[in-house]
Amino acid sequence: MHDKPRPSTRGACALIAVLACAAGCSGGEIEPTTNVVRALMPQDPASLSLIGKPDRYSEIVAYQITDSLVQFDPGMVLVPRVAESWELSADHRTVTFHVRDGVRWQDGRPVTAEDVLFTVRQVRDPLVESPFFSALFEDLESIEAPDARTVRARFLRARPDMLEAWRVPLVPSHLGEEGAALLTGSFSRHPVGCGPFRFVRQRPGEEIVLEANDDYWDGRPHLDRLVFRIFPDERTGWEALLEGDVDIMPVNPELWREARASERGKRLASFSYYRLNVWQITWNHRRGPPLSDPGVRVALTMALDRRKFADNVLYGLAEPAVTTYHPQLRWTDPGIEPWPHDPAGARRRLEQAGWVDRDGDGVRERDGKPLRLDLMIIASSQAIVDQMAAWIQQSWAEIGVDAGIDKLEWQMLRERRNAGEFDAAMFGISFTPTPDQWEVYHSTAETNYAGFEDAEVDRLLDAGRHAFDEDERRRIYWRLQRRLHELEPIACLLYFASPVLHDRRLVGIVPSPLDEYRHTQGPRTWRWLAAGE
Amino acid sequence: MARFLARRLATAAATLLLITAVVFLLVHLAPGDPLAEGAGEAATHPLSPEARASLRAQYRLDRPVLVQYVLWLSDLVRGDLGRSILDRRPVAETIASRLGLTLTLNLLALVVMVLCAVPLGALGALRPGSVWDRGGALATYLLYALPVFWAALLLQSALSVRLGWLPLAGVRSSGFEYLGGLDRLVDRAAHLALPVACLSYGGLAYLSRFVRASLLDARAESWRAVRARGASKIAVLYRHGFRQAGVPMLTLAGFLLPGLVGGSVLVETIFAIPGLGRLFVEAAFGRDVPVVMGLTLLSAAATLAGIFLADVLYAVIDPRIRRTRA
Repeated sequence: MHDKPRPSTRGACALIAVLACAAGCSGGEIEPTTNVVRALMPQDPASLSLIGKPDRYSEIVAYQITDSLVQFDPGMVLVPRVAESWELSADHRTVTFHVRDGVRWQDGRPVTAEDVLFTVRQVRDPLVESPFFSALFEDLESIEAPDARTVRARFLRARPDMLEAWRVPLVPSHLGEEGAALLTGSFSRHPVGCGPFRFVRQRPGEEIVLEANDDYWDGRPHLDRLVFRIFPDERTGWEALLEGDVDIMPVNPELWREARASERGKRLASFSYYRLNVWQITWNHRRGPPLSDPGVRVALTMALDRRKFADNVLYGLAEPAVTTYHPQLRWTDPGIEPWPHDPAGARRRLEQAGWVDRDGDGVRERDGKPLRLDLMIIASSQAIVDQMAAWIQQSWAEIGVDAGIDKLEWQMLRERRNAGEFDAAMFGISFTPTPDQWEVYHSTAETNYAGFEDAEVDRLLDAGRHAFDEDERRRIYWRLQRRLHELEPIACLLYFASPVLHDRRLVGIVPSPLDEYRHTQGPRTWRWLAAGE
Repeated sequence: MARFLARRLATAAATLLLITAVVFLLVHLAPGDPLAEGAGEAATHPLSPEARASLRAQYRLDRPVLVQYVLWLSDLVRGDLGRSILDRRPVAETIASRLGLTLTLNLLALVVMVLCAVPLGALGALRPGSVWDRGGALATYLLYALPVFWAALLLQSALSVRLGWLPLAGVRSSGFEYLGGLDRLVDRAAHLALPVACLSYGGLAYLSRFVRASLLDARAESWRAVRARGASKIAVLYRHGFRQAGVPMLTLAGFLLPGLVGGSVLVETIFAIPGLGRLFVEAAFGRDVPVVMGLTLLSAAATLAGIFLADVLYAVIDPRIRRTRA
């Protein structure tokens, strides 16, 4: 949408120009500058290998360059993409995919079952460092290609969430390298896929340029180019958005509010969505009372006026959380209300648990032991973490709980959390659109950092892994959520909304709980309004 | 002289070895794990223990620190700096791709600094204690005290946002490929102007005071005699002052050398410049040992080269140093 490059001539002195030459002027190709969207990315993706080292940004780029057998639609339901259909065997252990006819790699070769086999083999290789997908394929028993357009996979155990694994971005078997070489070889510098955009170039720390794939099986994108521009500083990115150097960017609540209030923000539009993420406090149940007592845990949550905090500090861009289940998914029981802000109720619960302030120093005791705990938080550049910690500390003091704040760098916090050396730890938990949260809550799960143990929860988690009827699954997970809500094994504080600002003339953007990129209606449906439209 | 040089060189090499060993140890002592999940969020699907083990073996993280260091050294001798754990690119390639920009920025900043500081210092030396001298000192000290992130944002909002004279950030305009050779140069210069300004103003105080002091020293020794022969003030300053003051100023250059390869994190982040400063911070937070070690090696080598250069220059100029140390 950008008319002409604007070389700013004033202000540049000849001396600087001459020396600046050393910084390198290269290139020479002619490229379009209209019908381009420049999207802000705060950092480089860890890898462009489509499946290796997949952080959030690698995945965003991967799903533009390539496609997958199935993909989430914006409502988080898996729908056919490169696979036009699939069948499940009666025992739910074998799935047969039919690869769509006419899907081509960007070099013109057809996408075949062999490519799917190659991709699965690579993500299962630990050296490709794709922990998410390799975990989903952990139970794979065998995979074969009876013909060029059929993939048959058999799993050791039947899993209702098995389909999610097939969202793995496809890698061409004739171009991708094997194992660790996939991350280091030429493919990772010039990835080729079968997605809506093809890779043009990357300048690390600066930009990643993609162009429309005219041959895309589901129709060419409206945009000619999609450019990811790397801006590590949010303020600078925001000014760039106002100047028209960037067309779309995620922002923090402060900037979101500033955009709505300021005159300069008038040319921008905004939307926000709840990510698959909840800010929570993990209690350490292994240390015994007071935190092993559900009454105390619920009281600590009830002491917090989350609505007020969300409205005053986050400008309404947050919702009090109920559990680790996303409020907009079909697996989530909409009937459970978050614990209310009720300091009187909280005090009552603490007294019932035997915690009373007998010496009048403002801190409750039981058996001579004061009600004291340390809250680990992340030493973050984002002020919100500190603001939350201060608010929590103060709210707890009001009900007679003395909390110390332990501010740690993330790596350090992780280490102490994993070793169980903490009372309470505040951090964000991300989850997938599928309802299985066995890893978080099951008493035998290695990543049950709270050390939470409940036979009923274990039973429901196991049952959910064996329920194939959708209604039955929903009933199981709804019951699980009620049980979790009662016991409050971790304090689910807030769902944060992710606000996104973009140029008002850019339309067709569809948000989802993942984001506006990683689903069936990603950037390929974006377009610029024509003049006068 | 040869013996002197050999000795200096041997000391420098030993120091370099010591620095890399200490840094290597420090990075490993720091808590944390380069194979951990992303910053600030816990995923519900962490690495499986087997995957973690095989990755640790691949990155040699399962060996004792000393063994890791020796392996790193032996790779280094063969010219291999290893690969980044975070993005798997060769460390040498990553550093090389960013070095040009950082070097350009710092070199430009140095030139701007010298161009401003030398006249300022000379002005002060011509009339010590005058309004010019004191005013210049005050101004440069004020600049020295100005925090760079604040100045950067101020400059951005004034020159880029309000006036629209200079680009906000980045190192080239979109559509850079469209431009001809000269326009590219101008475009690049416009992008670097604000970062260069931010990088150079802080050193003005130091450098101008240094120039002033050196000139005054020289002046005390010989100016009066030359002036008595009827030469003008400017001629004296140029022919005698700078020539004599040049010796300490030249050695100062030796100490400025390491600064050329050290990136500024703040400036690079605010102006979205992919330089070495940002690279170092990202690597340090990610516990990316190979990249941290590569950058340490680079800056330590530059520092030692600077010191070595200064030593040699001293020795060339003053034979007494050569003799006493050799």
